[in-house]
Order: sequence, then structure tokens, then C-alpha cells
Amino acid sequence: MSQTVDIPQTIKDSLRKFRFARRNAGSAAIVIKINKQKLIMEEVEQFDNISIEELAEELPENSPRYVVLSHELKHNDGRTSFPLVLLNWAPTTSEIGMMTLHASALINFQNTADVSKVIEIRDGPEGLTKEIVNSKLA
Amino acid sequence: MALPEVHNIAQVPITSHAFSGDRSQLAVSLNSNDVQIYSRSGTDFVPTETLSEHDKLITSIDWAPNSNRIVTASQDRNAYVWQETPDPETGKLVWKPTLVLLRINRSATYVRWSPNEDKFAVASGARAISICSFDAENNWWVAKHLKKPIRSTVLSVDWHPNNVLLAAGSADMKARVFSAFIKEVDQRPAPTVWGSKLPFNTVCGEYTSPAGGWVHTVGFSPSGDVLAFASHDSSVSIVYPGGPAIYNIRMTSLPLVTLTWTSEDSIVAAGHDCRPLVFTGSEAGWQETGTLDDSKSGETSRAGAAGASSVGRLKAGAFATFRDADTRGQSSISGSSPSADTKLLTVHQNTITNARPYEIHGDQVTRVSTTGVDGILAIWDVNAVTALTARVGGIQLR
Repeated sequence: MSQTVDIPQTIKDSLRKFRFARRNAGSAAIVIKINKQKLIMEEVEQFDNISIEELAEELPENSPRYVVLSHELKHNDGRTSFPLVLLNWAPTTSEIGMMTLHASALINFQNTADVSKVIEIRDGPEGLTKEIVNSKLA
Repeated sequence: MALPEVHNIAQVPITSHAFSGDRSQLAVSLNSNDVQIYSRSGTDFVPTETLSEHDKLITSIDWAPNSNRIVTASQDRNAYVWQETPDPETGKLVWKPTLVLLRINRSATYVRWSPNEDKFAVASGARAISICSFDAENNWWVAKHLKKPIRSTVLSVDWHPNNVLLAAGSADMKARVFSAFIKEVDQRPAPTVWGSKLPFNTVCGEYTSPAGGWVHTVGFSPSGDVLAFASHDSSVSIVYPGGPAIYNIRMTSLPLVTLTWTSEDSIVAAGHDCRPLVFTGSEAGWQETGTLDDSKSGETSRAGAAGASSVGRLKAGAFATFRDADTRGQSSISGSSPSADTKLLTVHQNTITNARPYEIHGDQVTRVSTTGVDGILAIWDVNAVTALTARVGGIQLR
């Protein structure tokens, strides 16, 4: 399958480690960006036990990112699960070239990360809150 | 009385003008898609370059004095930032445009650089103001919108000296002060009379004049503590936030469409009356003090139509006199010149659309430049104020 953006092995390893890391409390996230010059993916940073609102503050307002989130979900029957969800962080103020690249590489990234649920966040920090994530996962 | 410096730039309306930082160059939009750059040569302005990139009429131009960048806004819903760079082949300095996508779906109407020249604000007909800042990571200008609660076209904007607050005058008859704080670009500003802790799109104040009317122009005073706006009800309002009241000066003349502060207590404004007016005041009150256009010393020679009179029974004499009085309303019976004299006594022959500070000494603006629909650029001495009541009208000096 032809790809516009390559995913280096280091990223694949980070994603696997992130997926299988034992979670005790809170939500964790790994943020990946695309390097436009080299056309590869790069890990920006990882967060452990971060709230969704803090994550919204950390993410850039004008650049697209892929965020693999392990979200602490409290079910109404008392269980707590940590589902993996892919946040497609794509604010509309981003540069058009980056947006296109980001959109084209999404499917490939989703398959590599092996995540079934994708949440699109197009309007920046206002669109990323705990309520929105919970409602999408329920 | 210092006479104004008058330049006949073009025979078409000048939509917008902006001088370079050292005032040696002038960028104008002559009601067209291109920017014309004029340079001073001796006492005149000669055209040197044309910047073509826009697809539709350029509505506004601003020239940043320190970073020497020009921003142009047009009816084609885009803005371009022009930077002087050396051309790779010839080595000369050429103006290179960078497109800024404003993400508006109507024309842009007005543009101004912020005081630190790292952002600019574009007013538009899309009921929004685009605040554009440069994102170095992606090498492109990002536009954020100030939308609520604007209900109609924004006609003009003005920045506060702290680089964060923005005043906007709109066709929904309100003048507002917004916070245009951009996280990556600005530091948290110190509290001002307009408020403190102001996230993006906070409305710090919303003002209207008593009789309503589109707010054509807004301006912050040099300190930023006072706001002035002129609206279509022929009035000028001066707002002291938290202070005593809003001072509203109603005039009997035609509305003003542009204003600029010349010092903390005086404003020069101009509009459909074709002459710049001066207003002075303080927290205690404001009044109109006079005009910069001493029209006695305007054009005195009635050049012209004498040469057009030609031979023929129908064109001269009593026949022509009565015909002119009847069909054209020109009475030459009292002995004034029979030539059709539609020239105004003021320097500008049509609406003045733009008034900008030209020369600044310390914190006072000493000279103001104006352009208008008549294609004339005039540079006025701010201190040459003639009180309107003292003017003796109609005396011709021959």
C-alpha cells in the first residue's frame, strides 16, 4: 500500500508500549506529529495521568496532531475501563498543506496503532473536553 | 498659517494610502486591484512600482514602519503581506507577496498592523475580524476570528498601544473594544482601564452614539485610555471607560468617515465635508475647535472655462446667460464668472476617506496626511487650526 508519510519503527514500538502499559489512574496520552520536510511521523511527547482539559492546553492550536489516548472511562455500572481512542486533532486554522498530509496519513496511522475508535476534533481547545470524549465513547 | 502640501496623485479615487516609516515612499490603492508605490523625488511623488496580486479591489493598505512590511486587504477575501527581499536573479529589492487566508466569505474592508507589528487585524464584511499572526513552525499566517457579538460589516479597526486590545467600528451601529490576545504571540498584558485577564474575543466595551448610525471610524488615544469614534449621524463620541460619561459632539455638517488622534487631547477627523476638522477636550468635555482647511487660501485662480467660450449666437451673450440660469442653475447675472465653476473652496474636492498621522514629534502628531475620492493627497500642519466661526466666507483674493 503506498503511503505519503512513513511510520518509523521507533514510533510503532512506542505505540505498542503505550498500549500495553499498566494503567492505574487517570488518562494517558501519546502525541505524534508529521514532519513535513522528511515526511515521517515523530513522537512529540507522552503524558501520564493528565486531564483532558490539560491535554487541550498542551496541544498546539494551529497544527494537526495524532493523539492516542488511554482514557479512564467510568461506566455507570461501576466498572472502570481504559479504552484506547485516537484523537484526530485538526484545528481549521492549521496550514492547508499540513492538514492534507495529516488527513491522508490518518488511515495508515490508525491501522498501525490498531485503534478502532477515532474522534475528530476540528475546532481546537473548545472541542476537547471530558464530556465530549465520554459521550463519544459511551 | 502653514499651507498644506497638496499632491495631485491621480484622477481616480484613492481608496487607501499608507506611508513608509521614513515617509519617503507612499503606497496607494487607486480604486484598483494593484498597489501603486510612489517615491518622493524632490517635492513630488513619482510612481515607482506596482504590486499586482489581488484579484479584486484593494480596500485597505497598511505599512509597518519598523519591519517595513506592507499588508493589503481586498474584496477578494484575501490579504497579502509584502516583504522587500532581494531578487535572486537581479539582486534588486523586490516586494514579495505572501498570501494570508483569512477564512472569510465576504470582502475584507480594513487592515491595520498591531503596534509591535507581529499581528494584524482585518475587518471584513463577514461580520468578523481576522486577527492574523505568523506561525513560524508552519511558516504561514494563522487567522483567528473575532465573531461574537458583531452583527454586521466591520468598517474600521484600531489597535491599543498594548498590542492586545482592538477597537472596532461596525455597520451594526456599535463601536466595541475586543481583546485580541494570541497565546503564542503576546505576553499577558498589564491591566488597563478596559479590564484585566482578557482571553481572546472578550468584549471589553460596547458603545453607540445617541442617534445611531454606522460607526465609520474608531481610534484609541495615544495612551490607549480613551476611545473616539465617528458615526453616520454626524457625531463624534469620546469614551472614557469607567470615567465620567461618553461625550458626544453633534455637528450640523456631513458625517465624518476617518479620524486620527494627534495628542492626548485632540483629534483630527474628516469626511464628506471635504475638510479636516479638529476636536479638543479632556475628561471635562470635548468640543469642535475648528478646521485645518483655511479655505480662503484655497485655489484662487478661476482657471478654466474662459477658453471654452466659442463663437456662436447660442453660446454667448444674453442667450447663454438665461439658458445657463434656467437649465444649469448658474447665475451670472450678478457679474460673477460665467464659467461653470464647480470647484469647491476646500483643498479636497471630494470626500476625504483616509486621515493618517504623518509626522510625529515626541508624543504629538504634528502633521496629518489625507487622501480622498478626488485623488488628492494633502499633508496638513495640525496646529494651523482656523476656527469655523471666524471664517469670513467667500472672499476672493485676486
